[in-house]
Amino acid sequence: MEDSEAIEQLRLCAGCPKMCRHMCPTFLAWRSDSPTPHGRALLMYQDAKGTRALDERAIEVLYQCLECSQCLTWCLPQVDIATMVENERMRLVNEGRYPRGLDKISSAIKANHNPFAEPHGKRNKWFVPTKTQGKKILYFTGCTAAYHENGIARSTVSILSHLGYKVSVTPDEWCCGSPLFRTGFRDLGIEQARHNAGTLNKSEGDQIVVTCPGCFRAFTKDYPQLGIELKKPVLHISQLLEKHLDALRAVDFGGPITYHDPCHLGRHSGIYEPPRKVIERVSGTKVVEMARSRENAMCCGNGAGLRTLFTDQASIIGDARISQAREVGAKFLVTSCPFCKNMLASRAEKGITVLDLPEMVLAAFDSTSKVKM
Amino acid sequence: MLDTRTKAKLVEQIEAIVGPDHFTTDETDAVLNAHDAWPLSEAKIRAGETLPLADVIVYPSSTEEVSKILRVANDLRVPVVPVGGGAGTCGGTQPTYGGIQLDLKRMDKILAIDGESLLVRVQAGTVGIDLEEEVNRHGYTTGHTPTSLRASNVGGFIATRSGGSMSSLYGKIEDLTLGLEVVLADGSVVRCKAVPRHSVGPDLRQLFIGSEGTLCVITEATLRLFPLPPSRHFRSMCFPDVHSGLMAIRAIFREGIFPSVVRLYDAEDTALHVSTHFEVEEGNCMLMLAFDGRPEKVDIDESISARICIENGAKDYGEGPSKYWWEHRYDMYYPTKFATSGFSVGDTIDIVATYDRLENVYHEMKRVMETHGAAVMSHFSHMYPNGGSIYMIFFVSQPDAESAWATYREIWDDGVAACLREGGTMSHQHGVGTTRSTYTEAELGSSFEVLKKIKEVLDPNGIMNPGKLGMGGHT
Repeated sequence: MEDSEAIEQLRLCAGCPKMCRHMCPTFLAWRSDSPTPHGRALLMYQDAKGTRALDERAIEVLYQCLECSQCLTWCLPQVDIATMVENERMRLVNEGRYPRGLDKISSAIKANHNPFAEPHGKRNKWFVPTKTQGKKILYFTGCTAAYHENGIARSTVSILSHLGYKVSVTPDEWCCGSPLFRTGFRDLGIEQARHNAGTLNKSEGDQIVVTCPGCFRAFTKDYPQLGIELKKPVLHISQLLEKHLDALRAVDFGGPITYHDPCHLGRHSGIYEPPRKVIERVSGTKVVEMARSRENAMCCGNGAGLRTLFTDQASIIGDARISQAREVGAKFLVTSCPFCKNMLASRAEKGITVLDLPEMVLAAFDSTSKVKM
Repeated sequence: MLDTRTKAKLVEQIEAIVGPDHFTTDETDAVLNAHDAWPLSEAKIRAGETLPLADVIVYPSSTEEVSKILRVANDLRVPVVPVGGGAGTCGGTQPTYGGIQLDLKRMDKILAIDGESLLVRVQAGTVGIDLEEEVNRHGYTTGHTPTSLRASNVGGFIATRSGGSMSSLYGKIEDLTLGLEVVLADGSVVRCKAVPRHSVGPDLRQLFIGSEGTLCVITEATLRLFPLPPSRHFRSMCFPDVHSGLMAIRAIFREGIFPSVVRLYDAEDTALHVSTHFEVEEGNCMLMLAFDGRPEKVDIDESISARICIENGAKDYGEGPSKYWWEHRYDMYYPTKFATSGFSVGDTIDIVATYDRLENVYHEMKRVMETHGAAVMSHFSHMYPNGGSIYMIFFVSQPDAESAWATYREIWDDGVAACLREGGTMSHQHGVGTTRSTYTEAELGSSFEVLKKIKEVLDPNGIMNPGKLGMGGHT
């Protein structure tokens, strides 16, 4: 986007009487006019126009954004504030003007290739190769499933084996770069991207499957925008499972199931139907939709560095999402993102079980007749 | 702005009341809280100008905290500007003299829905759409649907005597507010009981409704509810001129019919907002109607209204334009590239008058506003048995900021003067705020002195939203 075009977009948002603010998760968390799309736009507009430069608090406000793009759903002029915030963060990082709390993510990725500062050597410890001799598929696990949500990773391999795939993982998998792109550390993200592209392009799988929508968006949107080419098709697990609906087992889950659309999978990648079709096939019931779903789904609170920098507010957002699931009487809250699953499970109270899609599908495969979680 | 010593004392006491996380003295937060949706503020921001800033923004969570904060502010003689959604269009939440902005957004609880008495008790910081959606889930509506519903708060509705697009049927906020809790400048909490009617002296609720933060801070309200209407029909009728449209509207009310929506667009507004989607003869004026209620009642109301319109020379456009407007009613609230470019500024003077004066007010305001080179278009937006309001919308663009702001002010001065001269009242629902503050005395005439005296008693130190509602500045 040209500078003049960006300023025009910011002018529209800065001049709006806040028609999206009521849907902004960070407005919910802070109940202040500062961490809102309008607030961010006004700060960037004044900076760009030379009225008022970004100070330390303004920079903090720009990092009090989940980049979830919910505001875009409610924006008639379609001002993409999340992207503009991301571009501004890139400039701030290049100038060394960013919240230092992010250093732990960037330095961990630089040193260990994951944001959790876990040893790289432990990345694939969860993986047990299967003996299936079918179509070769490479599972790009992603950092959260590899280190914190092993159940998702194991379930994925198990399901794919059930479906006749020969699954491999690579010891050379690095962070996809998503947390870096979203927080402004673009150059370090490009390093990860180039490394991953080199590794994946010479790997033996015919296609790549991911469970993390952050990885999916990085591979299908960020990498191409950066001119980094992946020479194999990339599928999200929900898309792959949708192709095998008939082979999935259906069981009685014993309670209403709702679905949380991850921002990177839904609004950012337009994938809404595949996970729903899989859930409906596996449970034999319709998904009970929350009041805010699909394009209007609320973020879980775990995006774009917010949980790292502002843990309490991220938790308020996670709690609100859990409440929305409870309001529709859901016994199971299924998502299709290890990052969302991790956040929502950490906030879930008794009486509601949070599952990632592969975990749900595997539960059906492993169950005799009724799943009890 | 406060002097350093006063500010230090204030901050220390505020922190003791709300804790370290619920106030800010940061300039960035003050900049982001400095404006509401007043078009002149927005135009100035676009032009790179800065606005007056608060010294402290406080986010209380309870009436008790509001009371303590006001006591401190009163002792220290610090201005207090209550802020709800910040969606007002008159600069009512602008901290003209600095001091405290008391931001009520954390007071956002819906406390009780009473289906038996059809009431909802709600805190002032609740966003309008959140309240409406919650009561909808229980089968009710507040009947209060201003275009700002996504951005404005309950406290702001009441503080500005706001009106929704269906006020012809459901009433304005002053009709919908049964109970009220407010805090006065000295920190005392005043509660007006929620009863349908009473005979115990003057209705003090009505003193606080529309007081725009100059007499009190509204902290809680009990609002009326209505069962969600089983059906809503839309009908559109196109008239050769404004006069015949108004004749039809009067006749509809005389039949005892209360449509939920009654909006008559003049020729210019019809050309801009209707003929872009529907074939309309040049110079014609579109009337948009909606009817709420049981299907059989709605059918009768609609057919009688349609007959009246046709008898007054209208062409029947079916549900089209009216339904289209309803489905896109929030769209006009978004800024456009055209309206925000250069030194452009547009605004709405939302006047109200009785039928015997309404047309004269319209023609005279339009005439004087156009003498300043403004594009003027209007719709009669909220109609009642005795008269109604007109949205006198103007838009002007100038080559530089100085002439743009000066022209804006001249249009307002002359427009309001024409309204008052012809017997109208200068606002139906937007309130006074900063825009109309200097006209308040002329508008209220002899009753302005009464208002001033009440202000002197309730706020002797003049700390409550100084500079608004014609109440002068802070000393």
